[in-house]
Amino acid sequence: MNIRKLKDIIAGRLILASAIFSGLLVFIIAAVLYSRSISILSAKSLSELFLGITWLPSQGEFGFYQFILGTIYVTALAMVFAIPLGTLSAIYLAEYAHESMRSKILPLIDMLAGIPPVVYGMFGVLIIVPLVADIARVSGKLGIPGLTAGSYSTGFSLLAGSVVLAIMIFPIIISISYEVLRSVPSEVREASLSLGATRWQTIKHAVIRTALPGLAAAVILGFSRAFGETIAVLMVAGIALNNIPSSVFDAVYPLPALIALNYGEMMSIPLYDSALLLAALILMAIILIFTLTARLILIRMGGAHG
Amino acid sequence: MKSHISIRNVNAFYSDHQALKGITVEIPEKQITAIIGPSGCGKSTLLKCFNRLIDLTDGARVSGKIIVDDMDVLNHSIDITDVRRRMGLLPQKPNPLPMSIYDNVAYGPRIHGIKDKKKLDQMVEKYLKIAGLWDEVKDRLKSPASKLSIGQQQRLCLARGLAVEPEIILCDEPTSALDPVSSQHIEQQLLKLKSDYTIVIVTHNIHQAMRLADYVIHLYLGEIVEHGAANEVFENPKEERTRAYIDGTFLSDMKVDEEIDLKGNVCPYNFVYAKQALHALPKGKILRMIVDDPTAVTEVPRGMEADGHEILSVKQRNKKEWEIIIKKQ
Repeated sequence: MNIRKLKDIIAGRLILASAIFSGLLVFIIAAVLYSRSISILSAKSLSELFLGITWLPSQGEFGFYQFILGTIYVTALAMVFAIPLGTLSAIYLAEYAHESMRSKILPLIDMLAGIPPVVYGMFGVLIIVPLVADIARVSGKLGIPGLTAGSYSTGFSLLAGSVVLAIMIFPIIISISYEVLRSVPSEVREASLSLGATRWQTIKHAVIRTALPGLAAAVILGFSRAFGETIAVLMVAGIALNNIPSSVFDAVYPLPALIALNYGEMMSIPLYDSALLLAALILMAIILIFTLTARLILIRMGGAHG
Repeated sequence: MKSHISIRNVNAFYSDHQALKGITVEIPEKQITAIIGPSGCGKSTLLKCFNRLIDLTDGARVSGKIIVDDMDVLNHSIDITDVRRRMGLLPQKPNPLPMSIYDNVAYGPRIHGIKDKKKLDQMVEKYLKIAGLWDEVKDRLKSPASKLSIGQQQRLCLARGLAVEPEIILCDEPTSALDPVSSQHIEQQLLKLKSDYTIVIVTHNIHQAMRLADYVIHLYLGEIVEHGAANEVFENPKEERTRAYIDGTFLSDMKVDEEIDLKGNVCPYNFVYAKQALHALPKGKILRMIVDDPTAVTEVPRGMEADGHEILSVKQRNKKEWEIIIKKQ
């Protein structure tokens, strides 16, 4: 066997090994998290953990309900802001904007996507939080459910968290949606326009329909980013323990913040370490479930349209 | 002959490149007009000016007038959606919308405000029948259009275009992506439709133009070389360029039965090989030979002709190679 063949075999094996390793990584992390959270899972029942509302590690109470709810709330509200904003901006840029306009705006959006989360967090503290506090002062008195605020709101709240998150993920949604819309073949537009459709009818009925799986993928990527986002949310969301938010002006305590703020501290408390690792496992599981469901939807949609 | 589309001094530019130069011609009503010419001569550009789909191209500019029913299409203050509704477009590659067969045909009527389910059902059936597709799809109207074969998709596009009740049908090389049987199908539909519609077809297939056209416009490098009734243009072209185009197309389309490559051979060997190859062929068959020896270009045809064979063409293919086409007698 000559050197050349040997190199070929080694290279082949090496590539295979690295591919397997990256694939395995997700299982390794899941396995480690699971093995470390077994102790809490065996000590407490699942309903106690997921539906328990008190979190008092020193007294052995580990209720994740408020954290899970906080994560879902803040992410969902962020998506409510970011999806229309991102999708509509992408439609404008891809379908209406003139080339010169496009070439100026797109690099800016790409830059937005590259700003570190901590900077968004600071921006949130400086601008969004005071703004939310002002809004709370006005709308809190109107008595609309979900928009109530006590006599005083600091502004560090679910709303502030989701606005910051929305600002963070909308560049991702725009740039992916833009690429998706641009990749819609011009024949689709021509087909619709040549039948006498207006531009908006063409976009609404033909272009978006063709691009739907890709647009969904853009939203899902934004969602995954939002769901696991830690530092920016942590800086503006208020972080109040043992508090189930009933209004957008209430403070929330999402799962990633729980892990980031507490892991490594007070590890002498029994089961504390295990509980936080379970929190990480839950976070990972939820993101995996969402991604897989989304994939399934995408595959279904792809199949329906050939 | 009544004119339906009147094109007056139309110029089109892509950035700095002028794609159409002072086009002035009348397109007759309820006839098939073929726009012929080599690739890149501006045929498709001219077609795209009719329904102003050229607006979608960045950096494209058009000047002049295109009058359809007393309306200037190129005037930007008119309602272009109305003009486009009057002109069905049959594209080069079938472009079904990502929806069911039914929804594809109903797409046009729906965007123009027809909501009545019964009326839509009737229209879908009517236009699928006119396009000659109804029998093949009537049991699966709800299945995605992308599941159809390419030929069926093209007839679906025809039905979809007809469903908005246009007066004009624009076809941009409508059979170039289709197999021969599907092409024939489309051509037959077009011939049936010409009693009710003005049809403009862009094609680089001269045989297709001959089969279909009543009127012919020959474009070359963005200019009109010749236009007139099809039988006159094809049988007796006034312009040398039209004659060359028609003849050239015939030769390049001709079925060659045998080909021999004589590159690298010098006289008299290429002469001998050519003779042998012709000898092996049955009578009436056609042989193409490729030579690169300058003497052979003149001597081989001469010799073969002396043997009684018919020389169909001698053409330079590139810097070094010539192609000689001979019919065995």
